[in-house]
Amino acid sequence: MNRVITIRQSVMEADEEVARRIRDRMGRDGRLYINIIGSPGSGKTTLLESTIRMAPEFRFAVIEGDIATARDAERIAALGVPSVQINTDGGCHLEAHLVSRALESLPLDTVDILFVENVGNLVCPAEFDIGEDMKVAVSSVPEGADKPLKYPLLFSQAKAVLLTKTDLLPYVPFEMELYQGDLERLNPGVPLLMMEAPSGKGMDAWIALLRMWLKEKRG
Amino acid sequence: MHELSLVEAILESLIPMCSEYGIEGKVKKVHLRIGRMRQVIPDVMRFAYGVATEDTVLRGSVLELSLIPLRLSCPTCGAEWQGDDPIAFLCPKCGEKNVKTHSGMELEIESMEVEQSDESSDNDPAVRHGGR
Repeated sequence: MNRVITIRQSVMEADEEVARRIRDRMGRDGRLYINIIGSPGSGKTTLLESTIRMAPEFRFAVIEGDIATARDAERIAALGVPSVQINTDGGCHLEAHLVSRALESLPLDTVDILFVENVGNLVCPAEFDIGEDMKVAVSSVPEGADKPLKYPLLFSQAKAVLLTKTDLLPYVPFEMELYQGDLERLNPGVPLLMMEAPSGKGMDAWIALLRMWLKEKRG
Repeated sequence: MHELSLVEAILESLIPMCSEYGIEGKVKKVHLRIGRMRQVIPDVMRFAYGVATEDTVLRGSVLELSLIPLRLSCPTCGAEWQGDDPIAFLCPKCGEKNVKTHSGMELEIESMEVEQSDESSDNDPAVRHGGR
């Protein structure tokens, strides 16, 4: 005869505890903490570079998550912003304990907004709570318009969705109505920002969102 | 294959639990509750579990999954519905955008079924007899 042990516990219990501690700490200090999630090559690092250049009103810090290399953290450091690279050695997403360790090497006292650029992937990063205030989804025009419906967890949880590389709309097939319709069903009312890195289009709206969120956070 | 990531997270909780309960090597079945929003494919998850448990105290145990539908309700008109085909967080009756999620986000270890041993306590409130 077998017996059943009832557990009823979240799968991520241990890491969720670390995430809670990070959230408490950032909340106490009034720092905005954003988890940037998108495919490889969707323009996440470019977005952060533009944000740092165009929003000198904020003091930033960046944690970069990648399977390998420190290239992204180097791109951020070149702009004079404190950055830490986490290499996951094959892991396809960041977890709270990795972020917690990286936070120790950042001068958080002098930071208004912390960005964590998650490993390029639309699936796993959405599953794992890293103690952030919000997730922001980045998806690019060449990836196609079916991304929200194919990756509903991320797109339903994101506090804002940035559609990048919109300057390519005349050259690649992209059904804008499908994209907008699916997104509206998954996450009604979520801000959808059209971004164009070469011209900086969309950056004003993005920086206005950051300003609003930071104000909300600081009450 | 995000199932493997989830399985690894499950094992981080389960393996220490096995030594805590003193049931290493005795686990027959692990029962998970997985919400529809987690987009888990049961066969892929069971396969990942088999591979990941190979060299652990859970070797040979079977993963059982209950898939929980996405249940939503509308605070404005009171409608209740299952919202997963296609997934939509909009009230189908009145169009309300701010709907309430009741289930479908679960990612829970529900229970473990273990081989009965003589010294196990019948008074342990966490232990129920019999399989499911």
